[in-house]
Amino acid sequence: MRVIKQRPMNWVERLYVFEAIRGLWTTLKHAARGLFRYETLPTISYPEGQPEIRNTYRARHRLMLRPDGTPRCVACGMCAAACPAHCIFIEATASDDPRIEKKVKRFDIDHLTCVFCGLCAEACPVDALRMDTKVISFEHRTRDEFVAHLEDLTAWDPKDYPEDEQSQVAPGGTKNAEARKVWGMEVK
Amino acid sequence: MDIIESRTWIEWVITIAKFAFCFVPVLYILLLIPMERRGAGFMQDRQGPNRSYIKIPFFGKIRLLGYVQNMCDGTKLFFKEMFAPAGVNKILYYVAPAIPFAIVFLSPCVIPWFGPMVFEWGGQVVRIPGSIVDSEVGVLLLFGLSSLSAYGAVLAGWASKSKYSFLGALRTSSMTISYEVCLGLSMMGMLLLAGSFNLTDIVNWQEHHVWGIVAQPVAFFCFLIACIAETGRAPFDVAEGEPELVAGYHTEYGAMQFGLFYMGEYSHICINSFLVATLFLGGYSVPFVTTETMQAHMGGSLAVLCGVLAFFALAFLHLIYRYSRKLKATNLTNRFEILREYSLYKIVAWLAVAVFIAGGVCAWLYYDPSKFVVNGFAVGGLATAVGTALIHLLVLIAKSVFFCWVWIWVRWTLPRFRYDHVMHLGWKIILNIALINLVVTAVIAKLVGGN
Amino acid sequence: MSNYYNMPKLPTENSPKVEIFVDDKPVMVPGDTNLLEALKAVGIETPHVCYHPFLPVSGNCRQCLVEQEGPRGRMLVIACYTPVAPGMKIYTPASSARVKNARKATQEFMLVNHPLDCPICDKAGECTLQENYMEAGQNESRMRPEYGKNYHGNPEHQFIDAKGQVRGGKHVDLGPRVLLDEERCVQCDRCVRFMRSIAGSEQLQLAGRADHTYITTFPGEKLDHEYDLCVTDVCPVGAMTAKYFRFQKRVWLLSHTPTISMDDSLGANIWLDHADGHIYRVMPRCNPEVNRSWLSNTSRLAFQNFDKNRLPAIDVESLPIGKGKIALVAGGSCTMEDLAALRMFKESLGDGAELFGGSLLKVGAPDGIAKSGDPVANRSGMKLMGFADVSEFMKRASEFETLVTVNADLFGEDAAVAKDLEKINCRIALSAFDDATARKATIAIGVRHWSEVQGTMVNSLNIIQKLNACPVCPDENLEAAYEVISELAGNKLESASAAFAKATEYASALAGLTYDSIKSTGKLLEGGNA
Repeated sequence: MRVIKQRPMNWVERLYVFEAIRGLWTTLKHAARGLFRYETLPTISYPEGQPEIRNTYRARHRLMLRPDGTPRCVACGMCAAACPAHCIFIEATASDDPRIEKKVKRFDIDHLTCVFCGLCAEACPVDALRMDTKVISFEHRTRDEFVAHLEDLTAWDPKDYPEDEQSQVAPGGTKNAEARKVWGMEVK
Repeated sequence: MDIIESRTWIEWVITIAKFAFCFVPVLYILLLIPMERRGAGFMQDRQGPNRSYIKIPFFGKIRLLGYVQNMCDGTKLFFKEMFAPAGVNKILYYVAPAIPFAIVFLSPCVIPWFGPMVFEWGGQVVRIPGSIVDSEVGVLLLFGLSSLSAYGAVLAGWASKSKYSFLGALRTSSMTISYEVCLGLSMMGMLLLAGSFNLTDIVNWQEHHVWGIVAQPVAFFCFLIACIAETGRAPFDVAEGEPELVAGYHTEYGAMQFGLFYMGEYSHICINSFLVATLFLGGYSVPFVTTETMQAHMGGSLAVLCGVLAFFALAFLHLIYRYSRKLKATNLTNRFEILREYSLYKIVAWLAVAVFIAGGVCAWLYYDPSKFVVNGFAVGGLATAVGTALIHLLVLIAKSVFFCWVWIWVRWTLPRFRYDHVMHLGWKIILNIALINLVVTAVIAKLVGGN
Repeated sequence: MSNYYNMPKLPTENSPKVEIFVDDKPVMVPGDTNLLEALKAVGIETPHVCYHPFLPVSGNCRQCLVEQEGPRGRMLVIACYTPVAPGMKIYTPASSARVKNARKATQEFMLVNHPLDCPICDKAGECTLQENYMEAGQNESRMRPEYGKNYHGNPEHQFIDAKGQVRGGKHVDLGPRVLLDEERCVQCDRCVRFMRSIAGSEQLQLAGRADHTYITTFPGEKLDHEYDLCVTDVCPVGAMTAKYFRFQKRVWLLSHTPTISMDDSLGANIWLDHADGHIYRVMPRCNPEVNRSWLSNTSRLAFQNFDKNRLPAIDVESLPIGKGKIALVAGGSCTMEDLAALRMFKESLGDGAELFGGSLLKVGAPDGIAKSGDPVANRSGMKLMGFADVSEFMKRASEFETLVTVNADLFGEDAAVAKDLEKINCRIALSAFDDATARKATIAIGVRHWSEVQGTMVNSLNIIQKLNACPVCPDENLEAAYEVISELAGNKLESASAAFAKATEYASALAGLTYDSIKSTGKLLEGGNA
């Protein structure tokens, strides 16, 4: 156990008056800052000003795409199994592509139930589900609109993720043509 | 305490017009609320309320630097349903909030808003005192009135049938009693020096000798603390301490009944800051300049006044321009909307600058009382007197606004005292200091002044 | 035909107890069985892949190794093929590091070329390899990325994937109902043994040798058998997958309801695996007396129509029953409770009413696996409750003026024979489905299907077995047939146990039984086979 011993107050401090004046000086400095350097206040006037969000922030989900534009998701249900809020609903079907066994038919995330813990993105074995869209606000009229469907989750633009190589592989990305060559390789 | 000494009509007019000063504390509420809310925001590195707006043509959404929010809040309070909890004493419950608010209109009567107006009118010397009631016991009357507001709290606490309200009322009454004593005693030294209870005399003494804060620094300090305690604001707001008493004596009040308590509190701050300014900061007197000197150079004085006002308008403009520049560099989506709003302020401020500078130049060049003749009747003396009164009033307001700021400043800086600490401070420290100060003052005054 | 010489002997209640020493501690185990079952009887689970209690032992997976003290010292033996002998000394991983390492090494070999398909594998969650890995494996990967996984099985199915690895044998179409993933196969040959020994039709074979082994059918042949879906059950990994269940649901999301398949008088024990109000699959429930671990495709796939073409519930105060004679006909899937309610109804109607039960379908021969061939599931129960056969009713059909059918689709079963019934004016049908009889009825009342009710049935072996209600009823207003009938009779039976108590009053063979006392594997009634 760690015991923190506080220094006893000396007589100046115990007089209170001088310490109070010191406190008044501090608040005066802050008040002057607000008055004369208003723009340096840390508050962001939110909807007009947007906070800067890193890509490690757990924001709205997206599903990564293969070079041919199909979602990478194999509908294994690991994200749904990991989800503590039970907000992911997946249905699977057999894939038409001979190299791929299983593909996703329905992928719904109920953002009203989601707690944005990021466990789904952790659990994904094929790095299909990510939470790096930086979209943090969800405003809709009805409850149904808060449910993100497969087409919502795959509707993202590679140009918004210029530094992410995996995103550039998707159609429209800079590395799509290259990846498409490898992807379209003849298989025996 | 004759209200009217001479019988000229101009004296009647001015005397009646002086009753308008009764509304000064109420007007101060309009100033104090935004000052408190945004000041508190700035002290805590917040922005304070700034989102409500009025939409006007051409300039778009006008937020008046956040002032519209307070108008909205006031409107909301005004239109809220008034209700009384079951089992309250209906009459007392409804009367109680009115008491502190009614006193607001009485207290300004004895405060000297400007120096006595003395001027010649139709061959007769007219003398009009600066306060509505130029009482010989002015300051005592003021204390009597302001301590009446405790009745509001006590009755509210009693009538509410709530233990929290009741405890709050108990604390308020005991604290008011304690600090009234300190208040009176700490002020006594000042009265001793001035030799009068009349506030005009006290200001007059300060004008010709030295400000009370220099003559009686200890007394000033005690008086300020006691004043803050008497208004029941932090750090002395034990009567409405949220952690233990919900909201103290006004726990059971809502809507405009609560609004009355709220306004009463702010008006009390206003009155007390006027009192502090009057007793210890020279009241209406201009620093380093006596009234006589000012009257002798009325044109120059007015020009200086206009210059000061123009400086403030320019300073405001500087802030607005500076912030507009910074705002343009951001990527707020509504920045052009804000800039459009600021263009209104710029126009108004530039107009004010122009008016003040023009007024100042005119006053400097062309002010000559002997030329002021209306229908062959010389009104030069009246003009000088009104000009003096105007300067006095503005000076007094500037001083009192500073003290209002002190109230807010202290509230958002110091944590609340425990109740027993408050009592300890009042009875064992401030009272004793004030007593010692009184004795020492008396001895020195006797030795030095000999009166 | 069948090769039973090495079928495992399973312990029974009457097995003699012998003392053996497990980890130097003396324990009493069943003496007439193999070591694996004996250890299981005392609570020691041994991981195994190829061993199946109802299949011949082949002992090829080597996963169930234990150490046995022998004349030449302690040796590793496979628990599944070692008979229990009194006084033998056995060492499990609890005391022997050698056993632990041996199992771990076996596991590692098995996983060398096993693909990392778990996320998309339908078996994941109930996979023997996964379970064994969690218990005995947990080894660090010694895979070298430059080699990767290599598939050496059927050369026709090999391909090189985008990462340059040799893959192959994904979704090979074995037949109309089963898909094979050769890559996932661990060559335990359970499916081969099942088809050879149980199904009696050697349609699957192991081809190739060593790590080139793969499962295949004969050239040009397909896997097509009444019991071929059982190979997906016996498969310890996800190699054999049923087409109907492929990718439908992850197995850990399924809830299981134990019940009885009411389309055959053997009354195969089944699990109804359901999730969010739908049945996703039907699995055999192990009952050594009745169907062991097997289930016919007919019974297994019947669930696909359970929620289709259903009759709605209607509120009936009283039936427009005429003055003449009344025939009450119970269908084959009626439970004992329904029959009891029908008897109550008959008594309330008076002397004009008669009870019949059964169907117009032909009775087939038992196949010796999980079907008796008789489509009237509760025929023994009907006999116990004193129901005459429906054929007798058909003979005397013209006598009756009112016909009440309960889950008996007479028109649908044999329209030509049932044509005579159209002369009966008042035909009332209580049925789960909107079938031919219900469509022709004067009044058709919807009731719950047998998968949605609690109840009991007596199978052809005279074993009374218990049905449980699976929460998949499409309309919550639907009631069980016994509730509807007993309400018409004027004394509503609120629960299955109350209805069963009523049934014990009518059938002497059931005397002394209560609904709750019947175990999940059923209870053999006195009097032997009916």
